Parts: sequence; structure tokens; C-alpha cells
Amino acid sequence: MTTWQLTLGSETRLATVDDHGHVTIADEAWHVRPGPTPGTWLVDAGETQCLVAVATRGTTRWVAVDGHVSVFEVDSPRPGRARAVRDDAMMAPMPATVATLSVAVGDAVAVGDVLLVLEAMKMELPVRAARAGTIRAVHCRQGEMVQPGVPLVEIG
Amino acid sequence: MTLRRVLVANRGEIALRVIRACREMGISPVAVYSDADAGAPHVAAADVAVRIGPAPPRESYLNAQAILDAARTTGAEAIHPGYGFLSERPSFARACEAAGITFIGPPASAIERMGSKIGARTLMQQAGVPVVPGITPGDQNDAALISAALDIGFPILLKPSAGGGGIGMKVVRDETSLPGAIATARREAEAAFGDGTLYVERLVDRPRHVEIQVFADRHGHCVHLCERECSAQRRHQKVIEESPSTVLTPAVRARMGAAAVAAAKAVGYVNAGTVEFLLEGHGDEARFYFLEMNTRLQVEHPVTEMVTGIDLVRTQLDVAAGAPLPFTQHDVSQRGHAIECRIYAEDPARGFLPQAGPLLLYREPTGPGIRIDSGVVEGRDIPVHYDPMIAKLIVSGETREAARLRALAALRRYPVLGVRTNIPFVMALLEHPAFIAGDIDTGFLDRQFEDFRERLAQPPSAVAWAAAAGARDSGGTLNPGAAGNLSATSAAPAEPFVTLGAWRVS
Repeated sequence: MTTWQLTLGSETRLATVDDHGHVTIADEAWHVRPGPTPGTWLVDAGETQCLVAVATRGTTRWVAVDGHVSVFEVDSPRPGRARAVRDDAMMAPMPATVATLSVAVGDAVAVGDVLLVLEAMKMELPVRAARAGTIRAVHCRQGEMVQPGVPLVEIG
Repeated sequence: MTLRRVLVANRGEIALRVIRACREMGISPVAVYSDADAGAPHVAAADVAVRIGPAPPRESYLNAQAILDAARTTGAEAIHPGYGFLSERPSFARACEAAGITFIGPPASAIERMGSKIGARTLMQQAGVPVVPGITPGDQNDAALISAALDIGFPILLKPSAGGGGIGMKVVRDETSLPGAIATARREAEAAFGDGTLYVERLVDRPRHVEIQVFADRHGHCVHLCERECSAQRRHQKVIEESPSTVLTPAVRARMGAAAVAAAKAVGYVNAGTVEFLLEGHGDEARFYFLEMNTRLQVEHPVTEMVTGIDLVRTQLDVAAGAPLPFTQHDVSQRGHAIECRIYAEDPARGFLPQAGPLLLYREPTGPGIRIDSGVVEGRDIPVHYDPMIAKLIVSGETREAARLRALAALRRYPVLGVRTNIPFVMALLEHPAFIAGDIDTGFLDRQFEDFRERLAQPPSAVAWAAAAGARDSGGTLNPGAAGNLSATSAAPAEPFVTLGAWRVS
């Protein structure tokens, strides 16, 4: 899961993307799949798909949708915000349901271990341990609806 | 005479267009190029390519001597000048002749006679081709000027006879305001040019630009290939051309076609040319006036090819080789409708500023009735030195509406990334009610500019944001070296808790 800060003119939005192309911006979810030719992508939005073209140069990303071109600046979120993050509290990137919970208090975990799997917009999002340690607290149950910014699991 | 080798003294899409025709006819094409075009598509397409100089046109594509030398060293028997550059310079046509090389175009004398505005006007009047009525009365007193205006009919334009550039021009719409306007115009003409002599001209109000394609051979045949309407212009730069015109009735078409043929014959024209007219009014009563003759192949020639089925470039090569025209006037007709959209590397959101830079992604649409004449390829730079037109989309359909919808659909599937283009502007024009109604005059785009600015200022769709976030830097995005932190970061395995920072600020 990656978070990007997208800037277009004076507007900035944060987007999270997993490595399968599931994108979340605010409360909206999208699936971006490779298109038939390099540089083309299919964006699924609900029941329709849209063929787009994307090209990147440095941190500039050009996107063509139906003849209209937008030029985004794509960056990691500003360091000031990222630094406020504690890496011992694992949180949801978006409103989601806990599909499976794989750890309990006292379990030892290594970096990258899957702690739980969230489901949102029919996509599964594995939540992995950001660092090694012992599970200190679990704040969610399987099947529970969770909100972004609320700690799900704490690693001691 | 059979042409075996032809040098194409141009670049970009028109060079490729001519090179393709040569290939089809078994003629060996020779390209010339400036330093900015080394490795360009037209260079790669030819059998031989000769460097003719540095990037600035004056030192390369306008360098007649270098081009003639290239023709000699490569053994080319003929030179096709394309459009622009040397195509309408009588001196170049003459130099070709002197060097024993066939200039694929009209005789130098025809270029020269059509190149002089005043001379061409006189010639056209003698040939019975309508020109915008105008006169410089020998007697310049008020009564004589008023009488001249009444003869010509309102609205009229009063112009300083010695002037130019629109200085001191006065529009007069009725007789009552004429004496005042004469006094003002005379005063301004005296102040600006030291000469108060006035020219009285009929004002063609909200004219349409309709032009006739003509073709003449060396055997005395001259036919017209019907019209193209090019009223969609922005500051005299054509944006969309089409055939048939939405306003030309068969009777007016026949009259205009005959006038164009008369114009060509009056200057001893040979090969392809275009006679441009201003058209005013509707129906069989519409009036037209000679504007000028373009003594070369036009950018918009494919529109005529699409509706008449005649390959203009191949015919040019045949006629230059001495063949008679392979068709008569009786053979020529328009079938269906064709629309050409010129694709410029320019930014409509910033005053149509020409754009240069790398074409990161460039994909042309394909499909029935879609033709693209382009001179660019993905991955290459658009150079700053030349015309910003990178391609032409030409579509045909059974009806104008079918062609219009086809053009729109094609433009939606025509991604050009890396430089801004006028594609959104062309789409807005194709969707404009006035265009749909076929009700556009040459001043339309400049008058409606604010309207278009608003149409172009629409925010991008949510899909664009999603694509910007979700498109990974896998193949096809080019510039592997320049991807910087983007590809480096997104290529890393998913690390949700490392990168979820922004979600955890609470």
C-alpha cells in the first residue's frame, strides 16, 4: 500500500494504492488495471470501465481521459505529515471491514507479516506489520467495520 | 517522362505524405533534413536522406541552394516542395528549371502572378472572376466618394489608399453616416500616411471561407475538384476544414468552380492549386469573391481526397511527369462528407502558446473512415523551430453528422502526452451548436473565444485522479532514466504501514 499526494493546479488530493492497482481517494474506490498496450490503463468505476493513457516524466504524470489531458504532480505525502506517524499503531487506509484477523495479543510478528485483511469495495487489503515486535493490543474484531485513522493493532 | 527519383523539400506530415505516394508509384523518395530532424520519421521513410543545414528554417528548409545540391547529388529528377517553405517562391521554381530539375507545381510565372495581390486582382477582374468590389475614385471629393459607395452598395469599408494593416479603416453601414466617416477617414489617412486618398470597398460581412481545388495539366485541361469550407479559423489559422460546404448549393458550386478554373487558366496554371473565395449569403443568391490563389498543395487536401476519391499527390506526380489529367470535370463528384481537424502542439489554456518537448506517449486512433496524416512518433521531441502542427485527423462519413461524430470519437481515443495539444479545443468546436448547425463564419472563433475558454476550463474527471494514482510505472511510460522517485517508490513492494502516513495523523 502506497500513499501518493496528487497535485493538479491548486488542488491536492491524497490517494492510496495497493500493488494490484486498487486506488482510494477520499471515500471513492477505483481499480486501475493495465490496458491493452503499454501506457494505457483501464479504470474501473462501478459498472463501467474507462480506457486512459498515462505517461510519467520525473514527478509529472500526464493522464488522457476521453481527449482531455491533465498534468499531475505526484509525490509522497509531505514529510511533516508523515513524520507524525507512529509505526506501532496499524490503521485502516479507508473505511473497511475486517475480513480476517490473524493475530492475537502476545503474538510475535516480523516485518511484513500479515496481521489482518481488510475488505473495502470488494477489494482485499492485507495489513502488514511495519516493524518486528509483540502484539500489545488488538482493537478490532473479524467482521467489524473500521474507520481510517483508528488504531487496529498495536505492536509493542 | 517517367520519374524515378523525387526529392521532397519539406518535413513532417507533408513530407511523409509525398514519400508514401512516391513509394506507391515505384518512385525512389529522397528526404532532406535539418539538424533538428535527424532521425525524424520523414528521414527514416526515404531511400536517401540528405542533411541540408542547421535547425533554423532559413539555413535548412529555406536554403534553396542546399536543396538543389541535394537533388543533384542524389540524382533526383524532380522536387516536391510540399506546402510552406519554398513552395510558393517563384525564384525557387525558376532555379529548379535552370538546374534541369522538374518543380512539382505550377510554372514560376503563375506563382509570381498570383503572388502579387494587386496584380492578381486585376487579372481576375479581366478573367471575369468576381472580386470584392472596390474603387479609388479619381475625384476624391465627398460627392464622388458618396457616389462610389452607392454604386458598390452598403456596408462598405473606407480604407486609406496608401495604407495597410487596418489603420484608418472605417466600416460604414448606411448613407447617412457616410459624410462623417469620409471626413474622419480622410483625416486619419493624411495623419498616418501623408495622403488622404481613400479606397471604397464592399464590406463582406461575416464571410465564409470556401475554396476550390483545381487541377491543370500541360495539355490544356483544367478541372475543379469541388470545394472545401474552412470557415473555422482562429486568427486566420484554419482549425477544421470540411467538404462539402454546408451552404454551397449546386448552382453556386458550379459557378464558383467555373470561376476557379477561369482563375487558374488566366495565369497558365499547371498542377494542383487552390482558389480561395469569401462567400456571403445563403442559397442560390449567395455571392462569392476571389480572395487569393494558393499555388501549391494545401494542408487540407485530404478532405478533397476523401470525398472525390482522387489521390491529389499521385496526380501531382503524374502531371509533373507530363501525363494528362486522368479525369475530366464530368468524372468529379463529392461522395459523403469529410472533416479534417488540425492537431497543433499548442496550449489552448495559455493563449494557444506553441509547445515543444518530448512526446511521452502518442497513439493514433484507427478505424473505418479515419485517416491520420502525421509527422511525429512517440518518444521523439517536437522541435521548437517549425510549425506546431503535428498531425491531421481526417474522417469521412455518409453524412456531415456521421463524420462529425466520427471525428469526436476518434479524438477521444487520440492520447497525446508530453506536450499540450489543441485536441480539447477541437472537440469543443465540434460540439458547439453553431458548428453542428454549420453556421460558422471566419470571425466565429475569435468572437466566441471566451465561450471556448469556459468550455475548456472544466475540471478533470475523477477517473483522471484515479489513473494518476493507480498507473504504475510499468513499460510504456518511457523515460526510464527520468522517472525519479516515482518509479523507485512505487516499484517497491507494498508496505502499507510505512506509507500510510497521511492516514495516521490523528
